[in-house]
Amino acid sequence: MSEIVVLGLKLAFLAALWLAILFVAAAIRTDVFGRKISTAELQIADGQPTRKQLKAAQKLPKKLKITHGPQAGTTLPLGEPIIIGRADDCQLVLNDDYVSTHHARISRGGGYDIIEDLGSTNGTFVNNQRITVPTQIGTGDSVRIGQSTMLLER
Amino acid sequence: MDEVVVYRQRRGIEAVLLLLAIAVAVGGYFLIHLDIDAELPTEWPAAVVVLTTLALVAHLVIRWRIPYADPIILPCVMLLNGLGLAMIHRLDLGGNERMHSAELQLGWTAVAVAVFCAVIFALREIRTLNRFWMLLFIFGMVLLLLPLVPGLGVEKNGSQIWIRLNLGFGAYSFQPAELAKIVLTIAFAAYLAGTREALVAAGRKIMGVELPRLRDFAPLLLMWLASLAVLVFQKDLGTSLLFFGLFVVMLFVSTERLLYPILGAALFAGGAYAGFLLFTHVQTRVLAWLDPFADYDRNYQIITAQFGMAWGGSIGTGWGLGRPNLTPLAKTDFIAAAFGEELGVAGLSAIIMVYAIIVARGIRAALGSNDSFGKLLASGLSFVFAIQVFTIIAGVTRLLPLTGLTTPFMSQGGSSLVANWATVALLLIVTHHARRPQTAKPRDPVVNLASDETIELKAAA
Repeated sequence: MSEIVVLGLKLAFLAALWLAILFVAAAIRTDVFGRKISTAELQIADGQPTRKQLKAAQKLPKKLKITHGPQAGTTLPLGEPIIIGRADDCQLVLNDDYVSTHHARISRGGGYDIIEDLGSTNGTFVNNQRITVPTQIGTGDSVRIGQSTMLLER
Repeated sequence: MDEVVVYRQRRGIEAVLLLLAIAVAVGGYFLIHLDIDAELPTEWPAAVVVLTTLALVAHLVIRWRIPYADPIILPCVMLLNGLGLAMIHRLDLGGNERMHSAELQLGWTAVAVAVFCAVIFALREIRTLNRFWMLLFIFGMVLLLLPLVPGLGVEKNGSQIWIRLNLGFGAYSFQPAELAKIVLTIAFAAYLAGTREALVAAGRKIMGVELPRLRDFAPLLLMWLASLAVLVFQKDLGTSLLFFGLFVVMLFVSTERLLYPILGAALFAGGAYAGFLLFTHVQTRVLAWLDPFADYDRNYQIITAQFGMAWGGSIGTGWGLGRPNLTPLAKTDFIAAAFGEELGVAGLSAIIMVYAIIVARGIRAALGSNDSFGKLLASGLSFVFAIQVFTIIAGVTRLLPLTGLTTPFMSQGGSSLVANWATVALLLIVTHHARRPQTAKPRDPVVNLASDETIELKAAA
């Protein structure tokens, strides 16, 4: 090959090498700031595929897990009626001044779980909405009572 | 509605960059043959297919198992690995007789990618390693000191850092320090993540400097002694510097105290000077650095490398048109010199840039990580990588005395390649955890003073 071709190929290779680095730099530049999304969308984006999550949501929850609050980590099986409150005869006793003696009840019937507020002082919240009537709940819903947040899991 | 920042997965851009990296490496491979024979070799489709398949496998495993991993690191690694393969192939052609070490290296690349995938499968939940730090620490130490065992260690080029295993199908030698590097980084990260608070807080003040309690400090002291043992008994300055540097940097990152790097530099300088006085092996290296031309025969390697790089100049002689084979060990220790000769300053600095990008992405992952183990692991792995690249390229270009470390992903050699791919797998796992969208914690109603609900709360009767 003629020398001029060799020189041309050599320069072309070095240019390609640096061009590759420029492409990488461009990719890094578009990666500096993430994208802002709402927490609601995040539930879908978080790790698990959407279809799986939807399917799971159709099935009945198996347990109630306290995710936040003084007793975080505690789980309780669902199925039998559960009364949540401060009194000793409750199935789930929450030692919390913001929880009423008999605060709320979760019961199962007709293929789904229902939570009802038993006239508590500070209310029962399902997915951050205060409930006034018995409300249907399923897997993935959150329940807040006093300082504790609970999650229904399979 | 609350908003959170998430990173996109960006697997598409990774695939595009991977193809670009392979294109550049294959371009180098083609240019070698065009420059030497003016035609392409008959086996080129096989080589290209194998390399592309390996990249594809690594990419798909990332897509499947750790979809949020950093998209930049894998293409950079593939580019370096491909260029290394091309240069080894070029050196195979340049010798008096045709050699086939590039084919062997391609085989090792396949093994390395397999290990890479295995690490991603096995250690995706990397935090589980946290519990076994003591075990990992002991294992790492044993690996590091293994070449000192009589009958197992082999002396090569003045250093005793290799072990030879007699397996059924023949002798196989490897550098256990390459594996020890990874194991000890994990052990340090787990140990320091647990004790960093104690290292900063507890302890007595002596001469205005707060010293940590001895029991918090013992593993670190042990590490210092081990790196000294490597220096004294294995006579390897490079490995010793690598482990000591790793240990000092991780201590500095976890405690944020400037005392440690200063103390570490002083201790190492002392150790290195003692090594210089005691060992002729170290003296040779230092004299070859200060004045190589004083003894042409002894410093032949470093002198030919210098001549080669001078000949290469700013844009190099071109692939296949230099004479990098004149330098002994051109495929391993001096591969950077071969690049300097044939691609010039423009090419060698591009390669160093790619290394810098990998390190920068690693440190970015450390910053983005939300647990101290991940932070320490990512910074440790990137620093060990940075120290290694700096030490060997500085040695080849005569900025520092030469130390026998490998150039990651480029040097010929199986244990180094496999270990570095495993390091990258760990780094990618950390980036996956760092970049994955985190579910925002629901606010604790008692702490949230802005919310009206809190004020409504009153003690139930």
